[in-house]
Amino acid sequence: MILCTTDNVPGREIRETVGLVRGNTVRSRHLGRDISAGFKRLVGGEIEEYTKLLAESREQALDRMMAEARARGADAVVGLRFTSSEISAGSAEFVAYGTAVKLAH
Amino acid sequence: MSANIQEPSREQLLAMAYVDGELNEAERADFERELSARLDLRREVVQLRRLELLARHAAPAEPMDHEWRRLERDPLHRGSTLLGFAGLAVGAIGLAGYGAWSLWTSTMETTPKLLLGALCLGALLLFLATLRARLRTLPFDPYTEIER
Repeated sequence: MILCTTDNVPGREIRETVGLVRGNTVRSRHLGRDISAGFKRLVGGEIEEYTKLLAESREQALDRMMAEARARGADAVVGLRFTSSEISAGSAEFVAYGTAVKLAH
Repeated sequence: MSANIQEPSREQLLAMAYVDGELNEAERADFERELSARLDLRREVVQLRRLELLARHAAPAEPMDHEWRRLERDPLHRGSTLLGFAGLAVGAIGLAGYGAWSLWTSTMETTPKLLLGALCLGALLLFLATLRARLRTLPFDPYTEIER
């Protein structure tokens, strides 16, 4: 599966547009990690607990988007975008979306 | 090279192809039917997904990572973290128990006492059910390995 943030795949011709595909997830860390993160907010620096939380969410959203694209017979996803928001304190929502396409072989 | 390296079985090859999205629609449907019926196959797929995520995230270590690993091994850091969390846990459980005992022995009327008890018991049961669900699904969550 080719993933591109551009509107086309360089060097390849788009044969058919399958349509919008997306994947999303909302994840959180456990209370112990939230407590550690709270103390790190007091002293500054990177909060690894939340870096990891965002990374987990990003990859899961991406996998879900790719799974949908595969299920619909696509070869690639173009115009890939990520967006995130906070549903509740300490949880991260991540959405990956793009246009699934079939490429000329 | 060892001569004991085993060739992957047909089932393992199918699981790899499934994780990599190389199965056609009919093959995928067949495999997913098998997957829904077999716990060992689900575990195999999760392991392969973990491996695929690891390969995708073969990020080079940063200087700070080594310092974090060193700190994690440091007895003072480990001890203070452990004692800190133990203190929080003992304090929280102790306060909850003291609160429950104070309520039980208070002069409050029986009805609000029972309602408050039901509220606390309900919250505890919901928490335990959620914790059980998380512990049951944790082995099937490959994303916990991702660092950044």
